[in-house]
Amino acid sequence: MTRSKTVKVDYLARVEGEGALYIRYDEDGVHEVKLKIFEPPRFFEGFMRGRDYREAPDITARICGICPVAYQMSAVHAVENALGLSLSPELHALRRLMYCGEWIESHTLHIYMLHAPDFLGYPSGVAMAKDHPKTVQDGLQMKKAGNEIVRLLGGREVHPINVRVGGFYRLPTHPELGELRDKLLRARDLAIETVRWAASLPIPDFARAPENTYEFVALSDPQEYPMNRGRIVSTHGLDIAVSDYDDHFHETHVEYSNALHSERVGRGAYFLGPMARYNLNYERLSPLVKQIAGEVGFPSFCSNPFASIVVRSLEVLYAFDEAVRIIDNYRAPQAPYIDTAPRPSTGCAATEAPRGLLFHRYGIDASGQIDDAKIVAPTSQNQKTIEDDLRLMLPQYMHLAEADLQARCEQAIRNYDPCISCSTHFLKLHLDPVRPGS
Amino acid sequence: MGNRFRGDDSVGPYVVHRLRSQLTPSIPCIENNGDMSNLIEDWRDRHVCLVDAVQTAAYPPGEVVRLNGLKQDIPASLCRTSSHGLNIGEALELARALEAMPAHLEIYAICGRDFSFSAGLSAQVKAAAQQVMREILEKIQLQTGGL
Repeated sequence: MTRSKTVKVDYLARVEGEGALYIRYDEDGVHEVKLKIFEPPRFFEGFMRGRDYREAPDITARICGICPVAYQMSAVHAVENALGLSLSPELHALRRLMYCGEWIESHTLHIYMLHAPDFLGYPSGVAMAKDHPKTVQDGLQMKKAGNEIVRLLGGREVHPINVRVGGFYRLPTHPELGELRDKLLRARDLAIETVRWAASLPIPDFARAPENTYEFVALSDPQEYPMNRGRIVSTHGLDIAVSDYDDHFHETHVEYSNALHSERVGRGAYFLGPMARYNLNYERLSPLVKQIAGEVGFPSFCSNPFASIVVRSLEVLYAFDEAVRIIDNYRAPQAPYIDTAPRPSTGCAATEAPRGLLFHRYGIDASGQIDDAKIVAPTSQNQKTIEDDLRLMLPQYMHLAEADLQARCEQAIRNYDPCISCSTHFLKLHLDPVRPGS
Repeated sequence: MGNRFRGDDSVGPYVVHRLRSQLTPSIPCIENNGDMSNLIEDWRDRHVCLVDAVQTAAYPPGEVVRLNGLKQDIPASLCRTSSHGLNIGEALELARALEAMPAHLEIYAICGRDFSFSAGLSAQVKAAAQQVMREILEKIQLQTGGL
Protein backbone atom coordinates (compact mmCIF):
# COMPACT_ATOMS: atom_id res chain seq x y z
CA MET A 1 0.00 0.00 0.00
CA THR A 2 1.35 3.41 -0.90
CA ARG A 3 1.07 6.30 1.48
CA SER A 4 0.33 9.70 0.11
CA LYS A 5 2.56 12.57 1.22
CA THR A 6 2.21 16.27 0.79
CA VAL A 7 4.58 19.18 0.59
CA LYS A 8 2.86 22.24 1.99
CA VAL A 9 4.58 25.57 2.00
CA ASP A 10 2.08 27.93 3.54
CA TYR A 11 3.96 31.08 2.70
CA LEU A 12 6.57 31.24 -0.01
CA ALA A 13 9.59 33.17 1.17
CA ARG A 14 11.77 35.39 -0.97
CA VAL A 15 9.27 35.95 -3.73
CA GLU A 16 7.25 39.10 -4.14
CA GLY A 17 3.69 38.73 -2.92
CA GLU A 18 1.72 36.17 -1.02
CA GLY A 19 1.61 32.66 -2.36
CA ALA A 20 1.72 29.08 -1.18
CA LEU A 21 2.60 25.69 -2.58
CA TYR A 22 0.76 22.42 -2.28
CA ILE A 23 2.05 19.13 -3.69
CA ARG A 24 0.52 15.69 -3.12
CA TYR A 25 2.63 12.73 -4.09
CA ASP A 26 3.44 9.11 -3.27
CA GLU A 27 5.69 6.35 -4.56
CA ASP A 28 3.56 6.11 -7.69
CA GLY A 29 4.19 9.70 -8.62
CA VAL A 30 3.05 13.26 -8.20
CA HIS A 31 -0.71 13.58 -8.09
CA GLU A 32 -1.35 17.24 -7.51
CA VAL A 33 0.67 20.45 -7.75
CA LYS A 34 -0.86 23.83 -6.94
CA LEU A 35 0.98 27.09 -6.85
CA LYS A 36 -1.59 28.93 -4.79
CA ILE A 37 -1.67 32.66 -5.22
CA PHE A 38 -3.82 34.19 -2.52
CA GLU A 39 -2.60 37.76 -2.69
CA PRO A 40 -5.78 39.81 -2.93
CA PRO A 41 -6.83 40.83 -6.42
CA ARG A 42 -5.93 44.41 -7.22
CA PHE A 43 -8.33 45.23 -10.05
CA PHE A 44 -5.99 47.51 -11.97
CA GLU A 45 -7.74 46.83 -15.23
CA GLY A 46 -11.01 47.77 -13.62
CA PHE A 47 -9.94 51.11 -12.31
CA MET A 48 -8.07 52.04 -15.47
CA ARG A 49 -11.47 52.34 -17.11
CA GLY A 50 -12.66 55.92 -17.20
CA ARG A 51 -9.17 57.35 -16.69
CA ASP A 52 -7.48 59.63 -19.20
CA TYR A 53 -5.19 57.85 -21.68
CA ARG A 54 -2.29 60.03 -20.51
CA GLU A 55 -2.56 58.56 -17.02
CA ALA A 56 -1.98 54.96 -18.12
CA PRO A 57 1.84 54.94 -17.74
CA ASP A 58 1.79 56.41 -14.23
CA ILE A 59 -1.11 54.35 -12.91
CA THR A 60 0.17 51.04 -14.22
CA ALA A 61 3.67 51.77 -12.90
CA ARG A 62 2.11 51.34 -9.47
CA ILE A 63 1.40 47.67 -10.13
CA CYS A 64 4.96 46.86 -9.12
CA GLY A 65 7.67 48.51 -7.06
CA ILE A 66 10.52 46.59 -8.63
CA CYS A 67 9.42 46.53 -12.26
CA PRO A 68 7.46 49.79 -12.65
CA VAL A 69 9.37 50.63 -15.83
CA ALA A 70 8.04 47.49 -17.48
CA TYR A 71 4.46 48.49 -16.73
CA GLN A 72 5.12 52.06 -17.75
CA MET A 73 6.73 50.99 -21.01
CA SER A 74 4.06 48.49 -22.00
CA ALA A 75 1.35 51.00 -21.14
CA VAL A 76 2.87 53.97 -22.92
CA HIS A 77 3.65 51.94 -26.02
CA ALA A 78 0.16 50.47 -26.11
CA VAL A 79 -1.38 53.94 -25.92
CA GLU A 80 1.02 55.24 -28.56
CA ASN A 81 0.10 52.26 -30.72
CA ALA A 82 -3.57 53.18 -30.32
CA LEU A 83 -2.86 56.77 -31.31
CA GLY A 84 -0.70 55.73 -34.26
CA LEU A 85 2.42 57.45 -32.90
CA SER A 86 5.88 56.49 -33.98
CA LEU A 87 8.73 57.68 -31.79
CA SER A 88 12.07 58.87 -33.14
CA PRO A 89 15.08 56.55 -32.78
CA GLU A 90 16.47 59.00 -30.19
CA LEU A 91 13.43 58.71 -27.94
CA HIS A 92 13.37 54.97 -28.46
CA ALA A 93 17.01 54.79 -27.32
CA LEU A 94 16.25 56.70 -24.12
CA ARG A 95 13.36 54.39 -23.29
CA ARG A 96 15.67 51.46 -23.86
CA LEU A 97 18.26 53.01 -21.56
CA MET A 98 15.63 53.31 -18.85
CA TYR A 99 14.67 49.66 -19.31
CA CYS A 100 18.35 48.70 -18.89
CA GLY A 101 18.18 50.32 -15.46
CA GLU A 102 15.20 48.26 -14.46
CA TRP A 103 16.71 44.98 -15.61
CA ILE A 104 19.81 45.75 -13.56
CA GLU A 105 17.83 46.68 -10.43
CA SER A 106 15.52 43.70 -10.60
CA HIS A 107 17.97 41.03 -11.70
CA THR A 108 20.72 41.96 -9.23
CA LEU A 109 18.31 41.97 -6.31
CA HIS A 110 17.01 38.59 -7.38
CA ILE A 111 20.43 37.08 -8.02
CA TYR A 112 22.08 38.20 -4.79
CA MET A 113 19.36 38.51 -2.19
CA LEU A 114 16.69 36.07 -3.24
CA HIS A 115 18.08 33.27 -5.38
CA ALA A 116 21.79 32.76 -4.63
CA PRO A 117 21.07 31.69 -1.01
CA ASP A 118 19.35 28.60 -2.47
CA PHE A 119 22.53 27.49 -4.20
CA LEU A 120 24.80 28.16 -1.24
CA GLY A 121 22.55 26.74 1.46
CA TYR A 122 21.50 29.89 3.29
CA PRO A 123 18.00 30.68 4.51
CA SER A 124 18.22 34.30 3.35
CA GLY A 125 20.32 36.87 1.56
CA VAL A 126 21.12 38.48 4.89
CA ALA A 127 22.49 35.20 6.24
CA MET A 128 24.51 34.74 3.06
CA ALA A 129 25.93 38.26 3.39
CA LYS A 130 27.51 37.33 6.71
CA ASP A 131 29.77 34.79 4.97
CA HIS A 132 29.99 36.51 1.60
CA PRO A 133 29.96 40.24 2.36
CA LYS A 134 32.01 41.30 -0.65
CA THR A 135 29.77 39.38 -3.04
CA VAL A 136 26.58 40.92 -1.67
CA GLN A 137 28.19 44.35 -1.52
CA ASP A 138 29.04 44.06 -5.22
CA GLY A 139 25.44 43.13 -5.94
CA LEU A 140 24.16 46.16 -4.10
CA GLN A 141 26.64 48.38 -5.93
CA MET A 142 25.30 47.16 -9.25
CA LYS A 143 21.74 47.65 -8.12
CA LYS A 144 22.63 51.19 -7.13
CA ALA A 145 23.96 51.83 -10.63
CA GLY A 146 20.66 50.53 -12.03
CA ASN A 147 18.85 52.89 -9.68
CA GLU A 148 20.91 55.78 -11.06
CA ILE A 149 19.72 55.06 -14.59
CA VAL A 150 16.08 54.92 -13.57
CA ARG A 151 16.45 58.04 -11.44
CA LEU A 152 17.96 60.04 -14.30
CA LEU A 153 15.52 58.90 -16.96
CA GLY A 154 12.50 58.39 -14.76
CA GLY A 155 12.82 61.26 -12.33
CA ARG A 156 13.12 58.96 -9.35
CA GLU A 157 14.21 55.40 -8.83
CA VAL A 158 10.96 53.91 -7.54
CA HIS A 159 7.77 54.49 -9.50
CA PRO A 160 9.34 56.82 -12.06
CA ILE A 161 7.28 59.77 -13.26
CA ASN A 162 9.13 61.18 -16.26
CA VAL A 163 7.65 58.99 -18.99
CA ARG A 164 4.72 60.44 -20.88
CA VAL A 165 2.68 59.46 -23.89
CA GLY A 166 4.74 60.65 -26.86
CA GLY A 167 8.11 60.67 -25.11
CA PHE A 168 9.44 62.08 -21.84
CA TYR A 169 8.66 65.17 -19.79
CA ARG A 170 12.33 66.02 -19.42
CA LEU A 171 15.40 64.87 -21.33
CA PRO A 172 18.70 64.10 -19.64
CA THR A 173 21.57 66.49 -20.32
CA HIS A 174 24.89 65.41 -21.80
CA PRO A 175 26.79 66.06 -18.53
CA GLU A 176 24.25 63.98 -16.62
CA LEU A 177 24.67 61.12 -19.06
CA GLY A 178 28.45 61.45 -18.92
CA GLU A 179 28.44 61.17 -15.15
CA LEU A 180 26.14 58.16 -15.35
CA ARG A 181 28.40 56.51 -17.92
CA ASP A 182 31.38 56.56 -15.55
CA LYS A 183 29.35 54.81 -12.86
CA LEU A 184 28.06 52.25 -15.34
CA LEU A 185 31.53 51.37 -16.54
CA ARG A 186 32.65 50.64 -12.99
CA ALA A 187 29.58 48.54 -12.34
CA ARG A 188 30.01 46.66 -15.63
CA ASP A 189 33.24 45.20 -14.29
CA LEU A 190 31.32 43.90 -11.29
CA ALA A 191 28.74 42.43 -13.68
CA ILE A 192 31.47 40.45 -15.44
CA GLU A 193 32.53 39.05 -12.08
CA THR A 194 28.90 38.23 -11.33
CA VAL A 195 28.66 36.03 -14.41
CA ARG A 196 31.77 34.16 -13.35
CA TRP A 197 30.46 33.77 -9.82
CA ALA A 198 26.96 32.68 -10.89
CA ALA A 199 28.41 30.12 -13.28
CA SER A 200 30.47 28.66 -10.43
CA LEU A 201 27.41 27.98 -8.24
CA PRO A 202 26.34 24.35 -7.77
CA ILE A 203 23.53 24.28 -10.31
CA PRO A 204 21.23 21.25 -10.07
CA ASP A 205 20.70 19.23 -13.23
CA PHE A 206 17.24 19.16 -14.65
CA ALA A 207 16.24 18.28 -18.16
CA ARG A 208 12.78 17.63 -19.47
CA ALA A 209 12.04 14.62 -21.65
CA PRO A 210 11.81 15.34 -25.40
CA GLU A 211 8.01 15.12 -25.33
CA ASN A 212 7.87 17.79 -22.62
CA THR A 213 10.30 20.40 -23.86
CA TYR A 214 9.59 23.98 -22.88
CA GLU A 215 8.04 26.33 -25.35
CA PHE A 216 10.11 29.47 -24.77
CA VAL A 217 8.30 32.68 -25.72
CA ALA A 218 9.86 36.13 -26.03
CA LEU A 219 9.94 39.22 -28.15
CA SER A 220 12.38 39.23 -31.00
CA ASP A 221 13.57 42.05 -33.20
CA PRO A 222 16.18 41.89 -35.94
CA GLN A 223 17.86 45.08 -34.69
CA GLU A 224 18.30 44.49 -30.98
CA TYR A 225 18.09 42.21 -27.96
CA PRO A 226 14.42 42.56 -27.00
CA MET A 227 13.18 45.12 -24.51
CA ASN A 228 10.54 47.45 -25.90
CA ARG A 229 9.63 46.08 -29.29
CA GLY A 230 9.61 43.10 -31.59
CA ARG A 231 7.44 40.26 -32.73
CA ILE A 232 6.38 37.50 -30.35
CA VAL A 233 8.25 34.34 -31.23
CA SER A 234 8.68 30.94 -29.69
CA THR A 235 10.90 27.89 -29.93
CA HIS A 236 7.91 25.99 -31.30
CA GLY A 237 7.38 28.12 -34.38
CA LEU A 238 5.24 30.98 -33.13
CA ASP A 239 6.01 34.23 -34.95
CA ILE A 240 3.28 36.84 -34.61
CA ALA A 241 2.77 40.55 -34.36
CA VAL A 242 1.99 41.74 -30.83
CA SER A 243 -1.44 42.83 -32.09
CA ASP A 244 -2.27 39.13 -32.62
CA TYR A 245 -1.52 38.22 -29.00
CA ASP A 246 -5.16 37.57 -28.09
CA ASP A 247 -5.51 35.04 -30.91
CA HIS A 248 -2.68 32.91 -29.55
CA PHE A 249 -2.78 33.30 -25.77
CA HIS A 250 -5.67 33.13 -23.38
CA GLU A 251 -6.20 33.23 -19.64
CA THR A 252 -8.31 30.99 -17.45
CA HIS A 253 -9.28 31.18 -13.84
CA VAL A 254 -8.41 28.28 -11.52
CA GLU A 255 -10.12 27.96 -8.19
CA TYR A 256 -7.02 28.03 -6.00
CA SER A 257 -5.33 31.09 -7.47
CA ASN A 258 -6.13 34.77 -7.60
CA ALA A 259 -3.82 35.03 -10.60
CA LEU A 260 -5.16 33.93 -13.95
CA HIS A 261 -3.36 31.09 -15.70
CA SER A 262 -2.24 31.80 -19.24
CA GLU A 263 -1.96 29.25 -22.00
CA ARG A 264 -0.89 29.13 -25.60
CA VAL A 265 -4.11 28.46 -27.44
CA GLY A 266 -4.15 24.80 -28.42
CA ARG A 267 -0.80 24.05 -26.79
CA GLY A 268 -0.76 24.80 -23.08
CA ALA A 269 2.05 26.02 -20.86
CA TYR A 270 4.88 28.22 -22.08
CA PHE A 271 7.99 29.75 -20.56
CA LEU A 272 8.80 33.47 -20.42
CA GLY A 273 11.66 35.46 -18.95
CA PRO A 274 15.42 35.82 -19.22
CA MET A 275 15.97 32.25 -20.32
CA ALA A 276 13.40 32.57 -23.11
CA ARG A 277 14.89 35.88 -24.24
CA TYR A 278 18.39 34.44 -24.17
CA ASN A 279 17.52 31.25 -26.04
CA LEU A 280 15.60 33.10 -28.73
CA ASN A 281 17.91 36.08 -29.10
CA TYR A 282 21.42 34.94 -28.27
CA GLU A 283 22.77 36.29 -31.56
CA ARG A 284 21.70 39.82 -30.63
CA LEU A 285 23.68 39.97 -27.39
CA SER A 286 26.75 42.20 -27.39
CA PRO A 287 30.16 40.73 -28.21
CA LEU A 288 31.26 41.27 -24.59
CA VAL A 289 28.36 39.20 -23.24
CA LYS A 290 28.99 36.40 -25.72
CA GLN A 291 32.66 36.47 -24.86
CA ILE A 292 32.03 36.15 -21.12
CA ALA A 293 29.38 33.46 -21.68
CA GLY A 294 31.96 31.56 -23.71
CA GLU A 295 34.64 32.02 -21.07
CA VAL A 296 32.48 30.42 -18.39
CA GLY A 297 31.35 27.69 -20.79
CA PHE A 298 27.71 28.70 -20.86
CA PRO A 299 25.91 27.49 -24.01
CA SER A 300 23.91 29.69 -26.38
CA PHE A 301 20.81 27.64 -25.62
CA CYS A 302 19.99 26.40 -22.15
CA SER A 303 16.83 24.72 -20.90
CA ASN A 304 17.77 23.97 -17.31
CA PRO A 305 15.70 26.46 -15.28
CA PHE A 306 18.16 26.22 -12.37
CA ALA A 307 20.70 27.87 -14.68
CA SER A 308 18.48 30.92 -15.01
CA ILE A 309 20.62 32.64 -12.39
CA VAL A 310 23.50 32.57 -14.89
CA VAL A 311 21.26 33.88 -17.65
CA ARG A 312 20.14 36.73 -15.39
CA SER A 313 23.74 37.62 -14.69
CA LEU A 314 24.45 37.64 -18.43
CA GLU A 315 21.46 39.95 -18.93
CA VAL A 316 22.76 42.25 -16.19
CA LEU A 317 26.06 42.45 -18.03
CA TYR A 318 24.21 43.06 -21.27
CA ALA A 319 22.14 45.83 -19.70
CA PHE A 320 25.27 47.64 -18.50
CA ASP A 321 26.96 47.17 -21.86
CA GLU A 322 23.90 48.34 -23.75
CA ALA A 323 23.40 51.34 -21.45
CA VAL A 324 26.99 52.46 -22.08
CA ARG A 325 26.52 51.96 -25.83
CA ILE A 326 23.33 54.04 -25.82
CA ILE A 327 25.04 56.86 -23.94
CA ASP A 328 28.04 56.76 -26.27
CA ASN A 329 25.76 57.09 -29.29
CA TYR A 330 23.38 59.57 -27.71
CA ARG A 331 21.93 62.32 -29.84
CA ALA A 332 19.38 64.52 -28.12
CA PRO A 333 15.87 64.18 -29.55
CA GLN A 334 14.53 67.25 -31.30
CA ALA A 335 11.88 67.55 -28.61
CA PRO A 336 11.21 65.65 -25.39
CA TYR A 337 7.88 64.42 -26.69
CA ILE A 338 5.45 64.37 -29.59
CA ASP A 339 2.11 66.08 -29.11
CA THR A 340 -0.80 63.70 -28.89
CA ALA A 341 -4.55 63.91 -29.31
CA PRO A 342 -7.09 61.22 -28.49
CA ARG A 343 -9.12 59.33 -31.03
CA PRO A 344 -11.37 56.31 -30.71
CA SER A 345 -8.96 53.42 -31.01
CA THR A 346 -7.48 50.29 -29.56
CA GLY A 347 -3.78 49.71 -29.10
CA CYS A 348 -1.56 47.08 -27.61
CA ALA A 349 2.10 46.53 -26.80
CA ALA A 350 4.32 43.93 -25.25
CA THR A 351 7.66 44.61 -23.64
CA GLU A 352 10.18 42.43 -21.85
CA ALA A 353 9.81 42.93 -18.11
CA PRO A 354 12.68 41.39 -16.14
CA ARG A 355 10.44 38.37 -15.54
CA GLY A 356 9.25 38.12 -19.14
CA LEU A 357 6.74 39.27 -21.71
CA LEU A 358 4.25 41.82 -20.38
CA PHE A 359 1.23 42.50 -22.58
CA HIS A 360 -1.06 45.56 -22.36
CA ARG A 361 -4.10 46.46 -24.45
CA TYR A 362 -6.23 49.59 -24.12
CA GLY A 363 -9.36 50.89 -25.75
CA ILE A 364 -9.64 54.68 -25.89
CA ASP A 365 -12.78 56.67 -26.71
CA ALA A 366 -13.06 59.96 -28.58
CA SER A 367 -12.63 62.02 -25.40
CA GLY A 368 -9.46 60.19 -24.43
CA GLN A 369 -10.98 58.04 -21.71
CA ILE A 370 -9.80 54.47 -21.42
CA ASP A 371 -12.83 52.25 -21.94
CA ASP A 372 -11.12 48.86 -21.90
CA ALA A 373 -7.87 47.57 -20.42
CA LYS A 374 -6.12 44.24 -20.42
CA ILE A 375 -2.82 43.58 -18.67
CA VAL A 376 -1.16 40.17 -18.68
CA ALA A 377 1.77 39.94 -16.27
CA PRO A 378 4.68 37.54 -16.80
CA THR A 379 4.12 35.55 -13.62
CA SER A 380 0.58 34.57 -14.55
CA GLN A 381 1.94 33.39 -17.89
CA ASN A 382 4.67 31.31 -16.26
CA GLN A 383 2.44 29.84 -13.58
CA LYS A 384 1.55 26.66 -15.45
CA THR A 385 5.17 26.05 -16.37
CA ILE A 386 6.22 26.44 -12.75
CA GLU A 387 3.65 23.83 -11.72
CA ASP A 388 4.73 21.53 -14.57
CA ASP A 389 8.36 21.86 -13.49
CA LEU A 390 7.52 20.81 -9.97
CA ARG A 391 5.46 17.89 -11.23
CA LEU A 392 8.24 16.70 -13.52
CA MET A 393 11.24 17.28 -11.27
CA LEU A 394 9.81 15.94 -8.05
CA PRO A 395 10.34 12.23 -8.84
CA GLN A 396 14.10 12.73 -8.88
CA TYR A 397 13.98 14.45 -5.48
CA MET A 398 11.55 12.17 -3.65
CA HIS A 399 14.38 10.53 -1.73
CA LEU A 400 15.25 13.83 -0.04
CA ALA A 401 14.31 14.58 3.54
CA GLU A 402 11.17 16.67 3.79
CA ALA A 403 12.94 19.95 4.58
CA ASP A 404 15.36 19.46 1.69
CA LEU A 405 12.52 18.54 -0.63
CA GLN A 406 10.68 21.70 0.33
CA ALA A 407 13.82 23.79 -0.19
CA ARG A 408 14.31 22.31 -3.64
CA CYS A 409 10.69 23.06 -4.55
CA GLU A 410 11.06 26.65 -3.39
CA GLN A 411 14.26 26.97 -5.37
CA ALA A 412 12.46 25.70 -8.46
CA ILE A 413 9.85 28.43 -7.97
CA ARG A 414 12.47 31.11 -7.41
CA ASN A 415 14.10 30.08 -10.71
CA TYR A 416 11.28 32.10 -12.21
CA ASP A 417 11.54 35.11 -9.87
CA PRO A 418 7.75 35.17 -9.68
CA CYS A 419 6.16 38.46 -8.80
CA ILE A 420 2.92 37.34 -7.29
CA SER A 421 1.70 40.85 -6.52
CA CYS A 422 2.02 41.71 -10.19
CA SER A 423 0.05 38.73 -11.30
CA THR A 424 -2.99 39.27 -9.10
CA HIS A 425 -4.25 42.54 -10.42
CA PHE A 426 -7.26 40.98 -12.04
CA LEU A 427 -9.81 38.43 -11.07
CA LYS A 428 -12.37 37.40 -13.61
CA LEU A 429 -15.80 37.41 -12.01
CA HIS A 430 -18.56 35.23 -13.38
CA LEU A 431 -21.87 36.63 -12.22
CA ASP A 432 -24.81 34.30 -12.39
CA PRO A 433 -27.84 36.39 -11.54
CA VAL A 434 -30.78 34.59 -10.01
CA ARG A 435 -33.82 35.30 -12.15
CA PRO A 436 -37.15 36.01 -10.49
CA GLY A 437 -39.12 32.82 -10.08
CA SER A 438 -36.16 30.54 -10.59
CA MET B 1 11.11 56.95 4.76
CA GLY B 2 7.69 56.62 3.21
CA ASN B 3 5.43 57.11 0.26
CA ARG B 4 4.36 60.69 -0.43
CA PHE B 5 1.04 59.56 -1.82
CA ARG B 6 -0.18 57.25 0.90
CA GLY B 7 -1.69 59.34 3.64
CA ASP B 8 0.21 59.13 6.92
CA ASP B 9 2.95 57.08 5.28
CA SER B 10 4.13 60.39 3.82
CA VAL B 11 5.23 61.71 7.22
CA GLY B 12 8.89 60.81 6.57
CA PRO B 13 9.07 62.75 3.27
CA TYR B 14 7.06 65.56 4.91
CA VAL B 15 9.64 65.95 7.67
CA VAL B 16 12.63 65.66 5.33
CA HIS B 17 11.23 68.24 2.95
CA ARG B 18 10.75 70.80 5.73
CA LEU B 19 14.04 70.10 7.48
CA ARG B 20 15.96 70.46 4.24
CA SER B 21 15.09 74.13 4.02
CA GLN B 22 16.30 74.71 7.58
CA LEU B 23 19.61 72.89 7.39
CA THR B 24 22.89 73.48 5.59
CA PRO B 25 23.73 71.13 2.69
CA SER B 26 26.41 69.58 4.90
CA ILE B 27 23.59 67.80 6.70
CA PRO B 28 21.96 65.59 4.05
CA CYS B 29 18.19 65.13 4.11
CA ILE B 30 17.60 61.90 2.21
CA GLU B 31 14.20 60.63 1.17
CA ASN B 32 13.83 56.88 0.82
CA ASN B 33 10.77 55.40 -0.87
CA GLY B 34 11.34 52.01 0.67
CA ASP B 35 14.47 50.76 -1.02
CA MET B 36 16.43 49.39 1.92
CA SER B 37 19.50 48.66 -0.16
CA ASN B 38 19.83 52.41 -0.66
CA LEU B 39 19.33 52.92 3.04
CA ILE B 40 22.36 50.77 3.76
CA GLU B 41 24.42 52.83 1.38
CA ASP B 42 23.14 56.13 2.74
CA TRP B 43 23.52 55.55 6.47
CA ARG B 44 26.99 53.97 6.55
CA ASP B 45 29.11 55.56 9.35
CA ARG B 46 26.69 58.47 9.72
CA HIS B 47 24.70 59.92 12.59
CA VAL B 48 21.21 59.15 11.39
CA CYS B 49 17.73 60.26 12.40
CA LEU B 50 15.27 58.00 10.62
CA VAL B 51 11.65 59.09 10.46
CA ASP B 52 9.02 56.62 9.35
CA ALA B 53 5.34 55.97 9.81
CA VAL B 54 4.13 52.82 11.50
CA GLN B 55 0.78 51.13 11.49
CA THR B 56 -0.08 49.74 14.90
CA ALA B 57 -3.02 49.25 17.19
CA ALA B 58 -0.74 49.48 20.22
CA TYR B 59 -0.57 53.28 20.24
CA PRO B 60 -2.94 56.05 19.19
CA PRO B 61 -2.37 57.95 15.92
CA GLY B 62 0.25 60.65 16.37
CA GLU B 63 2.16 58.80 19.08
CA VAL B 64 5.92 58.93 18.49
CA VAL B 65 7.88 55.80 19.36
CA ARG B 66 11.57 56.64 19.77
CA LEU B 67 14.09 53.83 19.37
CA ASN B 68 17.83 53.61 19.46
CA GLY B 69 18.29 51.52 16.32
CA LEU B 70 21.69 50.22 17.40
CA LYS B 71 20.76 49.20 20.91
CA GLN B 72 17.09 48.32 20.93
CA ASP B 73 15.32 45.54 19.10
CA ILE B 74 13.24 46.69 16.18
CA PRO B 75 9.76 45.20 16.56
CA ALA B 76 8.98 42.48 14.05
CA SER B 77 7.28 43.62 10.90
CA LEU B 78 4.90 41.85 8.59
CA CYS B 79 7.08 43.05 5.75
CA ARG B 80 9.54 40.27 4.93
CA THR B 81 12.35 40.04 2.44
CA SER B 82 10.96 40.06 -1.05
CA SER B 83 11.86 41.42 -4.42
CA HIS B 84 10.60 44.74 -3.09
CA GLY B 85 13.21 44.96 -0.40
CA LEU B 86 13.96 44.33 3.23
CA ASN B 87 12.40 45.57 6.43
CA ILE B 88 14.42 47.77 8.77
CA GLY B 89 15.43 44.91 11.05
CA GLU B 90 16.78 42.98 8.07
CA ALA B 91 18.44 46.09 6.69
CA LEU B 92 20.29 46.51 9.98
CA GLU B 93 21.30 42.86 9.98
CA LEU B 94 22.54 43.15 6.42
CA ALA B 95 24.38 46.38 7.23
CA ARG B 96 26.08 44.64 10.14
CA ALA B 97 27.21 41.83 7.82
CA LEU B 98 28.51 44.33 5.29
CA GLU B 99 30.12 46.58 7.90
CA ALA B 100 27.87 49.37 6.73
CA MET B 101 26.27 50.34 10.01
CA PRO B 102 25.39 53.89 10.92
CA ALA B 103 27.42 55.48 13.71
CA HIS B 104 24.20 56.37 15.54
CA LEU B 105 20.65 55.57 14.59
CA GLU B 106 17.73 57.35 16.19
CA ILE B 107 14.42 56.05 14.90
CA TYR B 108 11.28 58.16 15.15
CA ALA B 109 8.35 55.87 14.41
CA ILE B 110 5.20 57.95 14.08
CA CYS B 111 1.97 56.02 14.49
CA GLY B 112 -0.34 56.68 11.56
CA ARG B 113 -4.08 56.49 11.17
CA ASP B 114 -4.91 56.60 7.47
CA PHE B 115 -2.64 55.03 4.86
CA SER B 116 -4.96 55.27 1.89
CA PHE B 117 -3.87 56.75 -1.43
CA SER B 118 -3.91 60.54 -1.70
CA ALA B 119 -5.26 60.93 1.81
CA GLY B 120 -2.65 63.43 3.03
CA LEU B 121 -1.40 63.60 6.60
CA SER B 122 -3.93 63.25 9.39
CA ALA B 123 -3.98 66.08 11.94
CA GLN B 124 -2.47 63.97 14.73
CA VAL B 125 0.40 62.80 12.54
CA LYS B 126 1.07 66.33 11.29
CA ALA B 127 1.35 67.53 14.90
CA ALA B 128 3.68 64.65 15.70
CA ALA B 129 5.80 65.56 12.67
CA GLN B 130 6.24 69.10 14.03
CA GLN B 131 7.37 67.68 17.36
CA VAL B 132 9.84 65.31 15.70
CA MET B 133 11.25 68.14 13.59
CA ARG B 134 11.84 70.23 16.72
CA GLU B 135 13.62 67.31 18.40
CA ILE B 136 15.83 66.64 15.40
CA LEU B 137 16.77 70.30 15.07
CA GLU B 138 17.64 70.42 18.79
CA LYS B 139 19.75 67.29 18.41
CA ILE B 140 21.63 68.79 15.49
CA GLN B 141 22.08 72.06 17.38
CA LEU B 142 23.58 70.17 20.30
CA GLN B 143 25.92 68.11 18.15
CA THR B 144 27.08 70.74 15.69
CA GLY B 145 26.64 73.98 17.53
CA GLY B 146 24.17 75.08 14.91
CA LEU B 147 26.15 74.48 11.71
